[in-house]
Amino acid sequence: MSQGNHDQFRLGFLTAVEDAERGFVGGLLITNRFGRPLEFQCTAPVKPNRTQQILYGPTLKPYVLGELIGRTLLEKVGVKPHLVLVESADLLDLRNATSTAVAALAPLPTGKSPKADNRQLEKSSPNVIPFGGEEIEFHHSHGEDRNEIEKLAKLVPIDADLREPFERIREALVETIRLSMARPA
Amino acid sequence: MIKDDPIAEITPSSEVTRKSTGSPSNHGLRGPHWSPLREGDARELGSHTHDSLDELLSDVQVTSIPLAVRIEILQSGLNVALHRWPKIEIEPLHLPKSPSLMPHWKPTRQKVLTFGLQFPEGASLLAKQAEDEKKKAGPRAEVPDDGPPKIEIMPDYQPPTVASLVDGLTEQKPKQVTRIKPPDDALAIEDRLFYLLQPPLQSWLAGQEMIMPFEPFPYQYEGIGWLFAKSSALLADEMGLGKTMQTITAIRLLVRSGQARRVLLVCPKPLLPNWQREFRTWAEELPFVVVEGDGERRKLTWTMPGVPVLICNYESLVRDFAAFGEGEFPKFDLIVLDEAQRIKNRTSRTAVTARALPRRRSWALTGTPIENRPEELGALYEFLEVVPPNATPDLRQLQSLAKQFILRRTKNLVMKDMPPRLDRDAYLELLPAQKSAYDMAEKEGVIQLNELGDSISVQHVFELVLRLKQITNFDPLTGESAKLDRLEADMEEIAASGGKAILFSQWTKVIDWLAKPMEKYGALVYHGGVPTKQREPILARFKEDPDAHILLMSYGTGAVGLNLQFAGYVFLFDRWWNPAIEDQAINRAHRIGCKSQVIVTRFISKDTIEERIDRVLTEKRELFAAILGEGDDTNVSLSMNAAEIFGLFDLKARHGKGVRSISPKQS
Repeated sequence: MSQGNHDQFRLGFLTAVEDAERGFVGGLLITNRFGRPLEFQCTAPVKPNRTQQILYGPTLKPYVLGELIGRTLLEKVGVKPHLVLVESADLLDLRNATSTAVAALAPLPTGKSPKADNRQLEKSSPNVIPFGGEEIEFHHSHGEDRNEIEKLAKLVPIDADLREPFERIREALVETIRLSMARPA
Repeated sequence: MIKDDPIAEITPSSEVTRKSTGSPSNHGLRGPHWSPLREGDARELGSHTHDSLDELLSDVQVTSIPLAVRIEILQSGLNVALHRWPKIEIEPLHLPKSPSLMPHWKPTRQKVLTFGLQFPEGASLLAKQAEDEKKKAGPRAEVPDDGPPKIEIMPDYQPPTVASLVDGLTEQKPKQVTRIKPPDDALAIEDRLFYLLQPPLQSWLAGQEMIMPFEPFPYQYEGIGWLFAKSSALLADEMGLGKTMQTITAIRLLVRSGQARRVLLVCPKPLLPNWQREFRTWAEELPFVVVEGDGERRKLTWTMPGVPVLICNYESLVRDFAAFGEGEFPKFDLIVLDEAQRIKNRTSRTAVTARALPRRRSWALTGTPIENRPEELGALYEFLEVVPPNATPDLRQLQSLAKQFILRRTKNLVMKDMPPRLDRDAYLELLPAQKSAYDMAEKEGVIQLNELGDSISVQHVFELVLRLKQITNFDPLTGESAKLDRLEADMEEIAASGGKAILFSQWTKVIDWLAKPMEKYGALVYHGGVPTKQREPILARFKEDPDAHILLMSYGTGAVGLNLQFAGYVFLFDRWWNPAIEDQAINRAHRIGCKSQVIVTRFISKDTIEERIDRVLTEKRELFAAILGEGDDTNVSLSMNAAEIFGLFDLKARHGKGVRSISPKQS
């Protein structure tokens, strides 16, 4: 049988770490439905200049993480994901810059484990869909994503930990920064 | 030329050549410090308050102050010898009349540099029940044909918890996550990220992707992760901690993650069925082939494509490797040597062959990395390719390499909750016929040895020891045996309670002799004389047949690799030279999964060679425990050396009229 991992359902996880001196370093991890890595792409540090800081104000972070980092990584990645998960709804605007569905994990209710009572949570937004053990939100102006995400949701095991891959990316990004700093200039 | 006027002349070109008086004026204009008015400014100023610049300037009052030094010096600050008049240039300043626009700023998409790595495609192996699972899965698994492949819903399998395996553990444990760490020698960023981005082992193994028959213990997860990330590794866990399972699972992960496509596992011949069984248990989806049959068939097996795991024994490996031409032997991504102490003698054919095998990763498994001498560890390091050929690392280097390449856990450290092992030494008086046979043999033997004088060797002493040990088992003439009497008494009780026991002896002859009196307890015989194909069914019968209460085994065949944790009793009918081997034997029963305590009975005949051997071994064990600590009491040289074997008898050779002690010859 020639069908390999790359032919299966692929999930993207996008996040970034911020280094005080160097700026944001973003990472996109593509996994199969079991969380096994298929491809990883990360950026060199992106540091907004003073003008950008002033002019973008509170939208700076979503701009850098979404439009600059997220879009670049999605263009670059060879194993294209069916869905990209982000940790914050701020980044959903990335959807406007890509044809791939983007969804944000619903914030954790304080004091509760990720899966606790999630099923009972009232849907706070019509754009929220149960996914694995979590709830995810898609971009309000991309209603067409609902069908696609609902279809994909059937492929994700109910006990899949959708927050764990973000930890892996952060660890890999920190390692990348550490190695690049250790390398002689 | 010196003028009194502060400003001599202002020309349209704004260039004035003048010398100031250096006198401060009432308007603040003073000597060399005034700022020259530019033409435009002056004009503007004049237009507000004065009619003309001349008028303005005429208002300036100048008062001369006599100075003590020559004016030239004050003016220039330079050496007076230069005698050069300062030049003052005046440039017009064009003040803006109206605000102008700053340069436009338009957001442009910054170019972001990226770095990426793709992961090797893992082997695509179908779980055996994949089809059944799909049927069972129901509508949740139904995905349109044009969509991504169907999810394989795992069967309703609930892996047993640690608590259910080992009594006395509480069910609720915090969720443990074992991440694979990059190996120390992985320096390239791609290599380090490969490991860092792997999911936690628990999510690989907890039914999401791989079915595990039992939930591994936390230390086993650690071991699996450690092996997975190592290209050179010696897993030296104490017997019974699951080296087999950890190795198979790590191989499984390597194959599934595309890190290995061809793996060779080499083990002693008696363990072949055991490894096959374990592979079926722990990696049901992983195809394996055993290298066996005639030469042609074996050669075909070695080169067979598409087989992820090959299993062979040491003997066929050595034979078949020699049969291939140089450079023709197939390459492997990983070679695992089980019971790796087999290559402890680095000049042996087995060791030379093992080192010559073409491979990318080398793992060695052994519960006793050092049986006698630290150099044995050096031979293993050489196979692992962490020391140069023929290197003789000193103790400090061995220790430092051990930290990097050896993982060793003892039961004391990791299995605090395992049911205890109760050791009881049964000191038995020889029966009368045994006693007289023993005394006579000893007396004659010692006389013979003494007569040998300086030509005596360890071998001579050894032969006597063996003869005496055999008599302590039973009298060859009458068949009297104190040990058998005691064994029968114990077995009656064990059989009555439905228990099972394993008995170990050094001699197959003793085992065969015991088979008859033990027949009433359903005795089964398992030793080197039993054909390999018949061995597996014997073990299966011992496990399943409620009437089979005792398994008679030889140390050589039964001491390693077998899982007999359902047996609650172990008898050591006679003693082995090395307690490490005895421990291996005992650990067939006292290992993971055993639900109740294991009672170990060592038969020791009083006032015989057995008692003396026991004393020497006990003293050595205590000594090493005192030096190295209680945590690791088998990783040391425990077997008896030549001097100790000689010391079992008070051997003296005639020396002129007197005698002198005989000591072992140095070979």
